[in-house]
Amino acid sequence: MRRIVITGMGAICALGHDAPSVWKAMTEGRSGIGPIHHIQPGQLRNGGIAAEVAGYDPANFFDDARRSLLDPFSEYALIAAREAIQQSGIRFEGEAASRTAVVIGTGAGGETTRDDLYERLYGEHQGRFHPLGIVRMMMNAPASQVSMVHGITGPSFVVASACASSNHAFAQAAMMIRSGMVDAAVVGGTEACITLGTLRAWEAMRVLAPDTCRPFSQGRRGLVLGEGAAMYVIETLESARERGAEIICELVGTGMSSDAGDIAAPSDIGAAAAMNMALRDGGLSPDEVGYINAHGTGTVANDSTETRAIHRVFGEHARELWVSSTKSMHGHALGAGGALELIAAIGAIHDGIVPPTLNYLGPDPACDLDYVPNEARERKVDVAISNSFAFGGLNAVVAIRRAP
Amino acid sequence: MPHHPGAMETRKANMSTVQQETFDIIAKQAKIDIATIKPESTLKDLGIASLDAIEVLFDLEEHFNINLPNEDTDFDNGTVGQLVEAIERQIALKGAEG
Repeated sequence: MRRIVITGMGAICALGHDAPSVWKAMTEGRSGIGPIHHIQPGQLRNGGIAAEVAGYDPANFFDDARRSLLDPFSEYALIAAREAIQQSGIRFEGEAASRTAVVIGTGAGGETTRDDLYERLYGEHQGRFHPLGIVRMMMNAPASQVSMVHGITGPSFVVASACASSNHAFAQAAMMIRSGMVDAAVVGGTEACITLGTLRAWEAMRVLAPDTCRPFSQGRRGLVLGEGAAMYVIETLESARERGAEIICELVGTGMSSDAGDIAAPSDIGAAAAMNMALRDGGLSPDEVGYINAHGTGTVANDSTETRAIHRVFGEHARELWVSSTKSMHGHALGAGGALELIAAIGAIHDGIVPPTLNYLGPDPACDLDYVPNEARERKVDVAISNSFAFGGLNAVVAIRRAP
Repeated sequence: MPHHPGAMETRKANMSTVQQETFDIIAKQAKIDIATIKPESTLKDLGIASLDAIEVLFDLEEHFNINLPNEDTDFDNGTVGQLVEAIERQIALKGAEG
């Protein structure tokens, strides 16, 4: 079987505008959660907090011609993809262009564009829409933009499975490389969901925390939405070695499962099935795993269910694991979640630092693992997994290993 | 404080109306006999979980034109009686602001 390695990574989110800044913030336990800036105050019912991309001006990244085509969810994907491709040093020339894929996870789509159009239609009763509305907000826009800007002509598409979109995207890209269909992929996730319409819809589900995101902690009150993107270059071990590329780590396994149960309530059985499949796919035994970047949304239901699922998969070894949720820092970026969180898993292996679960007040009897509360800790990690479990019962897990 | 039987009677009548309407909405959403709902029942006791419970709250908010804060909506331990009290508080708040 072809082995797959990661040779480039890029990111933008509330913690920074590139992957090194995001990783540094994670190791420092810095939170990107705060009052929402781009929604007028008083329009939200509770809290009005999110993890927004701060200090961001698209003019610093795009010329006017490109910008006119872009919703923020495509901007974020392009920014992260460019960083990943530059770091990787990969070039898409000749046959390489058609032997590379672009697979991007996203949950909501071009929400800013959609919100603006509908405000015009229903709020201001304006009949004239901007002609580029469709190409900005279509779900596939980020994948199309990355393929266009970088001249990648292989299979390109978007994967939508809500909060598991990124990890499903990794699985699709990995399968295409393993099958021999392509030799490389630009893969990750993007989301720009901090709009009035989206926020109000999430509020109505009664899952948003009014104070902050405190995963696995006593007194946790829900999730906090985030936004951004993380993108990676993955390729065969062979091609990375041929190019003399620096290998960041190995993408060793992916697992996917569906609860086939409730549309919202999570299942420990479904979550455990996805973790087990990722380990099996990677030929890993549970006791090789040192760190889990948890889905850890901060809702009462997710965190206790995920804890039970980890016990199911790891048995006695669960006590040895370090488990943290970086959503306490970059928020819940929905379709971009798994991709942003892979930075934490990669960092743990690469730098031997496990980023913390922030805002932790104390143990909840239903959450009895080592969640690395409030401060990063050092540990040698050879294998890490990253969990994503979506509303709708769709689970996807990625396993990575120290560079071969 | 002077005793004011008239106001007390009105308040009692309002309470029972809010309770009656709340029970009607819960019974309709959960497709259960209204006689099975007691003030000490939790939504969980009545078999109303997850999104069904959130829908009940939405129906109540729409019906009374109020917002019910998350603090007042503990599905597992909060009773229907406490829910009725929370609704009355929000109706009173609305009246005070109105």
